[in-house]
Amino acid sequence: MIILQITGAILVILGLVFFLGAAVGVVRFPDFYSRMHAAGKGDTLSTILMLLGIVCFLIADVPWAAVIHGDFSLLVEPILTSIKVLMIALLIMVTSPTSTHALMQAGYDSGIKPHLSEADDDSTPSDEETPTP
Amino acid sequence: MAPMKIVALITVIITGGLLLYATGDFPAWGDPLSPANNSALSRHYIEQSRVETAVPNLVTAVLADYRGYDTMFETVVVFVAGLAILAVLGQGTSRERAAIQRSAERYQERDMINIMTARLIVPVLQLFSLYVLAHGHYSPGGGFQGGVMFGASFILIALAGGLPEALSRLSIPGALLLAGLGVLLYGGTGLVCMMLGQNFLDYHILHRLLPATDAVMARYHAMLIVEIGVAFTVTAIMFIIYAALSSRGRMTGGL
Repeated sequence: MIILQITGAILVILGLVFFLGAAVGVVRFPDFYSRMHAAGKGDTLSTILMLLGIVCFLIADVPWAAVIHGDFSLLVEPILTSIKVLMIALLIMVTSPTSTHALMQAGYDSGIKPHLSEADDDSTPSDEETPTP
Repeated sequence: MAPMKIVALITVIITGGLLLYATGDFPAWGDPLSPANNSALSRHYIEQSRVETAVPNLVTAVLADYRGYDTMFETVVVFVAGLAILAVLGQGTSRERAAIQRSAERYQERDMINIMTARLIVPVLQLFSLYVLAHGHYSPGGGFQGGVMFGASFILIALAGGLPEALSRLSIPGALLLAGLGVLLYGGTGLVCMMLGQNFLDYHILHRLLPATDAVMARYHAMLIVEIGVAFTVTAIMFIIYAALSSRGRMTGGL
């Protein structure tokens, strides 16, 4: 069962890496839309990866030696917990992209302009261009 | 960094450090010698609540039975808060309501994704909230939690399909009726106990009215009745607060 534990650890760490990417994106991306892009995608994927990692750990913790000898009742609780965790993952898979979409739509409706190129950027004008009077 | 930010940072670090330092003084989780477990009252709850009420979840037994007055007036507080918000904000003038209606119609033509997701989530959410309500005797849950989730399902309908869509399912007068009914159900259970010659909210006498119960199971079932009352009130007031606050805002029907 060491393989399952390693898989679980890799999934959790991978989820944390994606979470870090999402956080960096939210801080560094130039406008509302690209920030939401980072937050929505990173959040969804990393949460699902971490929940899958937790399921791996749950399955790995089952005392398999006793189960193979016929004590199947030991399987009930880990499998129930795993199904609940997987249902949370399913819920996040459905709701998180929708909430990102809804936020985008709300931002578009309230007239937030996307940041299309450096020339649009008022806060940090580049040195080459002379500002029009 | 601005000086105020540095001051704020130092304050946060000091507060966080103090809080971390204080956690060392907490009794261990489940410590039988912790002060909270050692008064005669809490020992009585811990040892006797299962015997006296047949409810395994100690929290529910304390909340709905031993301290029923507290929970009843909490429900009344929720009810009065909803009434106050409705009295202060109202439902908007008819012109504002028409603006909401128009924006909702415009919105509904355009956005399928929110509506379809809400259709997927709302039935699950409502079913799960009923489970949380009914399972409060055995696991964390009960009237407040179940009611909040049921109210949230109506708020989700309002967010996805626009406020009129949700109001066509649960109107403001209907919600007020539901909220009042919840408080009435709670207080009425107490009054019935009084009519049967016991103290207010002393449920065990209800075994004369509830079929196939004894004094212990009457307390068990009466707790479910008052939890349902709490859930009615919380559901309705959650929705009323959302409807009142959102319709006086920027008059966009959906998200």
